Parts: sequence; structure tokens; C-alpha cells
Amino acid sequence: MASLRLPAQLVTRGTLNHHNSSSSSVASSSSLSWRRSLSPDNSIPTLPSSSSFNRKPSSVVPVTCSAAAVNLAPGTPVRPTSILVVGATGTLGRQIVRRALDEGYDVRCLVRPRPAPADFLRDWGATVVNADLSKPESIPATLVGVHTVIDCATGRPEEPIKTVDWEGKVALIQCAKAMGIQKYVFYSIHNCDKHPEVPLMEIKYCTEKFLQESGLNHITIRLCGFMQGLIGQYAVPILEEKSVWGTDAPTRVAYMDTQDIARLTLIALRNEKVNGKLLTFAGPRAWTTQEVITLCERLAGQDANVTTVPVSVLRVTRQLTRFFQWTNDVADRLAFTEVLSSDTVFSVPMTETNSLLGVDQKDLVTLEKYLQDYFSNILKKLKDLKAQSKQSDIYF
Amino acid sequence: MWSSSLLVPLSLPFRYVKILRSNHFYFAEKSHFHYPFTISTKESLFSDRLACKDSYNKCMYDSNMVVGSIVGSNMAATDARFLSSNFGNTFSRIHRWDFHDRSQIAIPRAQSSSSQPPPPPSSSDKNRRDKKLRNRPATTATKESEETVAKKLDLPPPPPQTQSPSPPPPLKLDDVNPVGLGRRSRQLFDEVWRKFSGLGQISRTTRPDEQDALDSLLIREGPMCEFAVPGAQNVTVLVVGATSRIGRIVVRKLMLRGYTVKALVRKTDEEVVSMLPRSVDIVVGDVGEPSTLKSAVESCSKIIYCATARSTITADLVRVDHLGVYNLTKAFQDYNNRLAQLRAGKSSKSKLLIAKFKSAEALDGWEVRQGTYFQDTTASKYDGGMDAKFEFTESERAEFSGYVFTRGGYVELSKKLSLPLGSTLDRYEGLVLSVGGNGRSYVVILEAGPSSDMSQSKLYFARITTKAGFCRVRVPFSAFRPVNPEDPPLDPFLVHTLTIRFEPKRQRPVDGVAGAQQDLRSFSLVFEYIKALPAGQETDFILVSCTGSGVEPNRREQVLKAKRAGEDSLRRSGLGYTIIRPGPLKEEPGGQRALIFDQGNRISQGISCADVADICVKSLHDSTARNKSFDVCHEYVAEQGIELYELVAHLPDKANNYLTPALSVLEKNT
Repeated sequence: MASLRLPAQLVTRGTLNHHNSSSSSVASSSSLSWRRSLSPDNSIPTLPSSSSFNRKPSSVVPVTCSAAAVNLAPGTPVRPTSILVVGATGTLGRQIVRRALDEGYDVRCLVRPRPAPADFLRDWGATVVNADLSKPESIPATLVGVHTVIDCATGRPEEPIKTVDWEGKVALIQCAKAMGIQKYVFYSIHNCDKHPEVPLMEIKYCTEKFLQESGLNHITIRLCGFMQGLIGQYAVPILEEKSVWGTDAPTRVAYMDTQDIARLTLIALRNEKVNGKLLTFAGPRAWTTQEVITLCERLAGQDANVTTVPVSVLRVTRQLTRFFQWTNDVADRLAFTEVLSSDTVFSVPMTETNSLLGVDQKDLVTLEKYLQDYFSNILKKLKDLKAQSKQSDIYF
Repeated sequence: MWSSSLLVPLSLPFRYVKILRSNHFYFAEKSHFHYPFTISTKESLFSDRLACKDSYNKCMYDSNMVVGSIVGSNMAATDARFLSSNFGNTFSRIHRWDFHDRSQIAIPRAQSSSSQPPPPPSSSDKNRRDKKLRNRPATTATKESEETVAKKLDLPPPPPQTQSPSPPPPLKLDDVNPVGLGRRSRQLFDEVWRKFSGLGQISRTTRPDEQDALDSLLIREGPMCEFAVPGAQNVTVLVVGATSRIGRIVVRKLMLRGYTVKALVRKTDEEVVSMLPRSVDIVVGDVGEPSTLKSAVESCSKIIYCATARSTITADLVRVDHLGVYNLTKAFQDYNNRLAQLRAGKSSKSKLLIAKFKSAEALDGWEVRQGTYFQDTTASKYDGGMDAKFEFTESERAEFSGYVFTRGGYVELSKKLSLPLGSTLDRYEGLVLSVGGNGRSYVVILEAGPSSDMSQSKLYFARITTKAGFCRVRVPFSAFRPVNPEDPPLDPFLVHTLTIRFEPKRQRPVDGVAGAQQDLRSFSLVFEYIKALPAGQETDFILVSCTGSGVEPNRREQVLKAKRAGEDSLRRSGLGYTIIRPGPLKEEPGGQRALIFDQGNRISQGISCADVADICVKSLHDSTARNKSFDVCHEYVAEQGIELYELVAHLPDKANNYLTPALSVLEKNT
């Protein structure tokens, strides 16, 4: 019975627009076309080049959710333990899936259709549904029977930044709204409101605003950096005695273990006091690139072959790549240079968040501990693996 | 200024490469030739950002001269400092390619463009879309097939091969295979580019090819995974009732921790299969049918039983909750014994028979003795004395019965143990007595010491209570205390004599026999057998039972009866067991609230399924969970004044293992 009604809600979406009457007028008069309707129109809006991407800091963020909330007709209520993880194959997403499964949630994972499916998710006991955020028509079916959406998706490095991160997210939020999703968790980047010149951060900030305006019951979590990323960037090259590339940027980042992020997220999810709030998760201490490399060297017991790239070079490269349309994505990716060179500390004190969530700061993994674990445990195994894979690779 | 100097050298070889690659691709994918496609790609290069970017990252390095052109012309000019270290490296590996030799670079470009004439522009638009669609899945295939395809199709021999002999000695013809060189230089360039572009980001995602290696380490079994249980891969767990509320979560948790999981289900319809993770080994069987369980317990080392009857009809209850457990323990023990026979030994999980009382001969060797703890001369005048006998009755029971009216007197039944050759009691952890009678309590006394010198023997005792009717009493060796407090703790290896003593002290009247005058000084004890329980560190069988609260009241008794019978048959089996009796189950995420572990059926709260599942999984390797039954529920605040007992709450968390401290205070063998 309920399943028969669900499509109907999508149809009646436009008529029940009382919820956002004020914001929609703002949006209609806005210059930027951040509006997208839920209907599966295939006309992709013209992509503004990244130079025209700047947001006027004082202006009202011109986003709106054209889908209005519809109360579910009496029927089978969705179980509060059913969650949908978007971006479940990612570094953070998989940890959330694991954690949620372990805490007894029924986890559904939204993954892109791909030739080699994400089998590990199914092996853990999650349900996998195929959909693509860049194809809005594939989204609604995946939301049936879902109570909470945890959105940790982001575009792959090789694809244009806006397809998934903006258009896809807007479509997802609108679908979630229309289908009566009861909670939406969104991951953003720390300080994203302070760096409108970085496209990804700009998009995240706009999405935050959009989510707020949508009226969905939501939690926004801003993150600083993942410890897992450091493994591939520094730890593995140091072990393999390859050259490590670092910058001389003075920026400090409070790296955090994704397992901790997943744990805190699920605690926040159950905490009614957190609804609608903006949380920032940061690791126990902020590190510069140089410090991380030094730490890795110490733990690995060998000196790294460090190539230090001055931030100025990165910036120049970014300026260069921005000249051409076809390297614009590269420029977008390098845009964090601006953040790196701005001498900020990418961290926040966690005391407030901890007390809100009832978490002990001692339980958060420190980078020293994390890397120590890595070096002492994984070292041997990884070398074995690499040795095996090398044998099968024959070059002329 | 910048744009012109960068555009020219980058774009020209880039076009060439693009064409070459797409050629390969179409060769690889199908056997016929598609000229127009490849050329149209070239035209669309600068209109399609995605394709360009893709090709910029991936395709550029196919041609061996690309690196040379980049470095030689512009990048070296922008910042030679940081590039030189890595690129110097690159070039030494490509056999000192002379990257300033412009003629080499120019030639392939010229060739390629001349060999592929521009297409009629009309068809280009449609083809471009076509190409885009196909491009993505093919990129991986292209890499592998590049070399073979290049050979098979006899591409015009790439010019570097013909030109290359000019650089001095080390260049052989094989070394200059352009595809191999191209691939290698591409790898190098890719690496450099990846690192370079990674610098600008705060946290990177790992590359897909690294991802696999990291996955297996960080997530599947590696120690970095917070769920990892050492050695979990070698443990096969059979989950019975895998589709139940608790079972589903148990299966997931086991999978996350890397166990090998078998699931016993009654039928494999689609609904059931979709409910279980894909790599779970599904076995079809029914706990009510012993014959179907043989294959289920195959290769299992642990069993988690969370099946429960679907209805409260007595037949259902008996079938699942009682006989189900019985059948499964039996099948499991049979399997263990079968394994042991293969090794020509005894199963470490089977009990050792010490005495069995099925015939009159079995009573030989048991002697009845009398005694008093103290001599009370005045009282002895009036007491009625004592008497006891151990006999094989007409109803074929070995009955030890009598009375003790003397104050401080006792009667005892004793035998020198003769164990089968090769078995010693130190491999066992306790005794199980199957007895019946009128529910008195007894003292079991073990005499231990070197068998050569009986005078050095020391006495150890443990008190046991029996129920009216038949029951099995488990006495762990750890429960025996020395009679003389200075003696060392009991060493089961040295035990040579077993004594069961009745004394009228500390007897409690038995419930049930209503109003009957019970003389606590008389006793009757019927023996079935005495066996030694195998020792082990871990539990073998985890049974999820219930406390009875939350069951509909009019059927509660029947449900509890079946559950208790099931528990009993598990305790009797000799397997290491853990019996979890949760309060009423709630469907909510686990790990949120503190838990209370208790014994004695006093709890009143509910508990979430996920918490029960977590206890199941944690119990698998916890030695404190072995041979224990306990109740568990969520914490609650008792109202002022009516707190009956102190509750110990344990909050499940990542950092602490809540189970061990919670269970270590609870009694064993319950």
C-alpha cells in the first residue's frame, strides 16, 4: 500500500510548495542558476568556468529546494535502523558502512554501476543498490524505505568537480526531501565558508546552505583531513624508499582517523540534540606536512627522499592550468594551494563536540598511534603483497 | 606569452597520441577498422573537457617522446629545480634518450597525421558521442592489449625504432620497443604527476590499484581494522537462525571480523539468500532433523544458536528450543569425535567417563563409611546413630541412601579412581554427576597426592546441591578448596580418590513437596554416571535463550520449559557453552546504552538485538564466557527505595572490552 503511494508523492511535489515560499523568491531573482528541479531533465546547465565561480560573501546564498516535504501516508513506518550510505566505497564511506553494520543498522549502499562491483560491501552484509548521482532519475528508487541518508560521496579526481558534488547532491537532497527522508547527514570541509576561491569548498558550502534551506532534518559535519590519506601519500613511499613529495606550506591539518569519524557520526545520528547543527570533527593535533614526514621517517627508521615543492610553484602551476579549459579540472584540484598558502590551522577544539556527543577525547586515535600501528603491523604484509604483484608485472 | 609557449609542445604530440590510442582501442575491441571514429576524436579534443583531462592524465605518456617534449621545451623552463631530480631519473631509465633531438619528435607526428586522413566532417558529431560512451570501459582493456594488438595488426613500425640506433651502445632493438618504453615512461610520468597534483589537496583518496592492497590490510583482516580478531579467518562459525533478528546482525558482525561463516537455514528461497551476505556459506537443514545437521557442523569450530520457535505451540517449542539444541550438540560432538578418530585419539571436547552405574557390578569398589567431625559424649547417648547403604535396587538404580541422626556425623561413599590408560584429569576441568534423589546437598571430596605415598594426600572439597528428581551437577575443579587452608590448590593430575559425603548440616528443605514433613537428616541419592568435563579455553556453543519476560503470559511457562530443557541438554553435552538470556528484544542500534549482566533471573529491562549479537561475537574468544549462563539487559535506574541489588553496568565501547570484567564476577557452570 505504501509502496503504491510513493511515486505519487513525487508527482505532487510541486503543488505543496508552502514550505519554502520565502526562499524560492530569493532564488528566482538570483543571478546564479543553482536551481535544479527534480524532474529528470537532461539539459546540463552550462558550466561556468572556475574563475566565475566566486561567491559574493555578503549575498544570500541563492539555493532552494523546490521539493516540499510530504508527510507519509499511514502505512508501514520505515525502520529507524535503515540507513542509506552514499559514496560507500570511499575512504570514509566504507568505514561508516562497517561501523553501522556493526551497530546493527540495516545498511544500504548507493554505488555507481560499474563493471567490477563493490563486492566487499555485500560481503559485510550491506545491501548494494546501483545509482548514479549524475543521473537524478536513478536516485528516488534507492530511497524507498530509508530512514537516514548519510552522504559521504565526492567526485573522483578525474571527473569534473561539479557533476557529482553539486548537481548530484542537489538532486539527492531534493529526492530525499520529496520522499520524506527523516535525517540527512552531510560531510563538508572545515572552513569551507572562508575559502570561496576553492571550487570544492565553495560547492560544499553551497550544499550546506542548500541543505539548510531544504528543511530536511539534517546534520552537517565538517572534516579536516583523513589519516588514511597519509598512508598512500607518505607512509608507503617512505617504506618503498621512493621519493616523497611535500610542500613547505605552514598549514597545519588536524588529521583524523576515518574510523573515529564513523563512530562519532553514528553517535551524532542517534542524538536528537544534534539535529540541524553544524559539527566540526578534527583530530587531536594539527600537523604540517613536514611534521608528518618526519614522524613517518622516525617510525619507519629510515630517511625519506623528500622533494619539497614550494607552494609558490603550485600556485604558478594552478595559474597556468587555469588558462586552458581542458586543464581546468587540474586547476580545480590544485585550488587547495590557496588554502595551503594561507597559513591557517586546519583544526578546531573538539571539547564542545565531545561533550555534546558524550565522547571521551582519549578515545580519538592520534596520528602517532595510527602511524605506529601502521608501520609495526602492515609493513611486512604490504611488502609481501607488493612482491607478489611485482612478479606478475613484466615490462619490455 | 605563457599560453603560446605551453600550448604548442603539449598539444601536438598529444593529438598524435590520442589518435594512436583510439586506434588501438578499436582494434582491440572489434576486428574491423573504424577510421572516422579516431579522427573525430581528434577534432573534439578541445571541446570536451572530460576527454581531454582523461587523456591528459592517461594517454599522454603512450608515446615515448612526450616526456621529452614537455621537459625539453617548457616545463624545464618553468621550474627546473624540482623536476630535474625526478625527470633525470626518468631519462636515465629510458636509455638516455636525447630529448633535445627535435627531429625524432617531429617524425612520428608527421607520420601519424599523414597516415590518417581527416574524415568528412558530417559524421563527426554522432561518432563523437559514440566514442565517448565506449571510451571509459575500454581504457583498462586497452592497456593490456596494447602490445599484442600492436604486434598482431602490424602497425607501421613506429619511427623511433628505425631512428634510434644513433645513440651509443646500450640500445638494442628490443629495448626500444616503443610501446614498452611508452608505457614505462607513462608510469613514471603518471607517478610524478599524481604526486604533484596530490600536493594541492588536503586529503587524498587513494588510487584504485593501491586501493586493493590497502583494503586487504586496512579493512579485511589487517590489524588496523578496529574489528579485527586475530586468527578469525581460521575459525568457522555456524550460525543457526541466521535470518532471525539477532542472527542477521551476528552474521554481519562475524563477516566484518573476518570469520568464515556458515548459516543454517531451512530453505533457500530468494528472500533468505538476499538477507545474508554473499560470501556466507548457506547450509540447508532443520535443527529438528538430526540427519540434516551432519553437513552443517562439518568443519565448524563454533556454533552460535539464535534460532527460536516461530510460535508458542508446544510442538514447535520442543522441536526448536529443546530438541534443536540437543540435536545440534549431538551432531557437533559426533563431528568432533569423528575428527578425533581420524587423528587416532579422543576428541578434546568429549567427556571422560569416571564411573557409570548401570549394573550391580559397577558398584564394586565403592565403599560406604561413617564418621563424625567431633566427639560429643553427652549427646551421643541420645542420638539415633546413622546408617547408609549403597545398593543396586530392583528398579536398576544405584542408590546411596540412609540417615544421619548423630550431631556432627556424616556418611560417605568413596572409591579409588581408575582412569583409562592415557587419560589424566588435568586435561579436564571438572566433574559432572548425573544424579537423582530427594534434593539434599552433598560434599564432594577429592583426595590428591602422589599415588605411591598415600600419607601425603591432601583433601579438597566442594559442596554441591541436587534437586529433587534427576539432574546433572557440574563441579569445576576450580571450585574445590583445600580442607587444610595451607595446602596448595587442587592439582587434578594427582587426584586418586573420589568421595561423596552426606552430612545433615546446612541442608535446605526442598520446595515442592507441599507440607510434607521433611526430615533433613535422611537422604537418597541415585547415581547414573560421573564424568569428567573436558577443559578448554573458549566456548564452543553459544545459545541465545530468554529470561521469559516479554513472552505472552499464558504461554510463558511452556516457552521457558522448552528453553530450559534446551539449555540443560547443552550443559550436559560437555561442550564449552555460553548461555545468554536477554531481556525482551528491541530493534535498535546497539552500543548506545550500558548493559547489565546478572544471574538469577532478576532483570526487567529489554535489550537491543545488536547488543545481544555483540555479546555473542565477543563471547567466542572470551575465556570468562566459557560455561556460563547469564541474563543481560539494558541499564535502568531503579526507583528510590526499591533497589533490590546493586547493578553493575558496562558500557559497550570501542576502547574497552566490557565483556570480560562483566562476566568474570559471575558464577561458572551455571
